[in-house]
Amino acid sequence: MTILEVRNLKVYYYLYNGVVKAVDDVSFTVEEGEILGIAGESGSGKSTLAHSILGLVKPPGKIVGGEIIFQGRDLTKLSEEDLRRLRGREISMVFQDPNTYLNPIMKVGYQVAEVYEAHQNIDMDKILDRVAKLFKRVRMTDPEKRVGSYPHELSGGMKQRALISMAVALKPKLIILDEPTSALDVTIQLEIIDLLREMRDELNASMIFISHDLELLSELTDKLMIMYAGRVVEYGYTKDVFKDAKHPYTEALINSIKYIRKGLLPTIEGEPPSLINPPKGCRFHPRCPRRFELCDRVEPKPISIAGRIVSCHLYGEEYGEGG
Amino acid sequence: MTLARYVVRRLLQAIPTLFILLIFMFILVRVLPGDPARLIAGLEATEEDVERIRVLLGLDRPIHEQFINYMLDILRGDLGTSIKFETPVIQEILIRFPRTLELAIVAELISIAIAIPLGIISALRPFTKTGALATIGSLLGSSMPIYWLGLILIYVFSVNMRLLPSFGYGTPAHIVLPAFTLATLLMGNLVRITRASVLDALESNYIVTAKAKGLSERLIIYRHALKNALIPIITISGLQLGALLGGAILTESVFAWPGIGLLLLDSIYSRDYPLIQGIIIFYAVILILINLIVDIAYAFVDPRVRISLWRPE
Ligand SMILES: Nc1ncnc2c1ncn2[C@@H]1O[C@H](COP(=O)(O)OP(=O)(O)OP(=O)(O)O)[C@@H](O)[C@H]1O
Ligand SMILES: [Mg+2]
Repeated sequence: MTILEVRNLKVYYYLYNGVVKAVDDVSFTVEEGEILGIAGESGSGKSTLAHSILGLVKPPGKIVGGEIIFQGRDLTKLSEEDLRRLRGREISMVFQDPNTYLNPIMKVGYQVAEVYEAHQNIDMDKILDRVAKLFKRVRMTDPEKRVGSYPHELSGGMKQRALISMAVALKPKLIILDEPTSALDVTIQLEIIDLLREMRDELNASMIFISHDLELLSELTDKLMIMYAGRVVEYGYTKDVFKDAKHPYTEALINSIKYIRKGLLPTIEGEPPSLINPPKGCRFHPRCPRRFELCDRVEPKPISIAGRIVSCHLYGEEYGEGG
Repeated sequence: MTLARYVVRRLLQAIPTLFILLIFMFILVRVLPGDPARLIAGLEATEEDVERIRVLLGLDRPIHEQFINYMLDILRGDLGTSIKFETPVIQEILIRFPRTLELAIVAELISIAIAIPLGIISALRPFTKTGALATIGSLLGSSMPIYWLGLILIYVFSVNMRLLPSFGYGTPAHIVLPAFTLATLLMGNLVRITRASVLDALESNYIVTAKAKGLSERLIIYRHALKNALIPIITISGLQLGALLGGAILTESVFAWPGIGLLLLDSIYSRDYPLIQGIIIFYAVILILINLIVDIAYAFVDPRVRISLWRPE
């Protein structure tokens, strides 16, 4: 069953020097119990996309087009109060940096307790008991004591566990994770990933998992969506994408894993494009090793090929191997 | 470390500052033009009178001996005797200071009661008329010179409407105009700081978390944004107390409010060196205490500060 369907979503930031088209005509679906991975360079619009699902895009950002259908309702049309009731209960989110996403002057236990408070009528003492249980569930050390700790008294991994406990507390249908481990040490990262897997199995929740770590995504996710400059360049089953990447950008990303293994910084030649004045034609063409005459004139349309969606002229009708 | 030990440590740390100030005051009085003994004795005094006073004040002794006596006196809490009033300086200060404190506290309360809500409103509704009015009002308030504002208030409320006394001390009505005048000095800054820190707090990532868990707008603002915004507001209010004591000198002179500010002006006009010196030392001690109190208040709001202050590094 489809939990979430995003259709032609456009999220723009209106700045003085122009409009940043951070998410530009993006479509995808998330099925029940499925983990969708989203990858792409810094600035390609991943966080903006994730935030827009819960209506959390900060001004001057705005959803300017498209639909976000969650369980039959278009979230872009909901009132603020209806959205509020959804947040944390049906759809929850875990953010990148546990240090700044926790309120520094409020005890962690209370911050988690607020999820219950926001959606249920139970008194505070009982809530704190439940938080302690929840902390145990996400394997915090010393869970009873941690309820009364302030964020600065916890390690990064513990803070992220607290944020995860907040996200799973009400057993939501969909959990959005925006680079949940990139601020943590490698060993802690692995523990957190294990925990997330466990949570997915236990809750049968769907997840959207944003990461720069393609290797991790290849192990964790069912489907993979590659974004470039606000657009989806390739979207399909993770296994297929890794076995046989169609889009040259996906190819380049996957190749860069080898560099990461060698401890080098993964880079793709060329500069990421401006999102205010994106390159004409295909947005990747200035950096594309396989560009040809059509690429700088005509924007490629998403087409269905080999069980996935690819936006690249190599596979278009006008020219190409596939189609 | 406990709070008590922290307070003791801070007070010990203040000793070098005070010591430098005392040396400075000692030198200042001795390099200022005019012979203090002659000034004190007056124009008609004979050479013998001046000499007698010099011996009385210890000014005939070698400089190091003078300095040691000066320090010993201050350690004993003896700030000397006022030339004009012929009473102990400390006694004069202790009579006047509570009145200044009264004025400062009422002014601070007025400015907090007006400025913080205004700052919050203008942060929460930046594009409304209320928000714009708060911003403009705060700019006007903080750029108004005390003398000018004081005179206008006297003209409107005392001369024209005959509602409030224009000068003096005694009844609650007397404090209204000077306290309000002094408060406007602080209000502009406080509105801007409040506005900026509320906006800053609202932009923080933990606000996104609070929203993502489905917390209501009201709770997000009160529990998360405003409480965090309070941290810089407390600091600024505390720092402002220093400015307030300075502003009190002007305000007291406009409204003839018999506090320590007016006393300082008096003592400067009459070259009452022991009194000037005593007031300045007293002010310094008060400022040190205010800073300490602000830091402690700060630590009560922010657990991170609490740890860095009271626990050994
Ligand atoms: N608050 C904002 N105001 C203006 N522009 C913004 C804002 N937030 C994001 N952008 C712009 O939108 C684009 C997409 O940003 P976004 O944070 O969604 O990228 P991302 O893929 O999540 O990057 P990263 O991997 O670094 O997290 C970027 O060009 C960024 O500069
Ligand atoms: Mg991001």
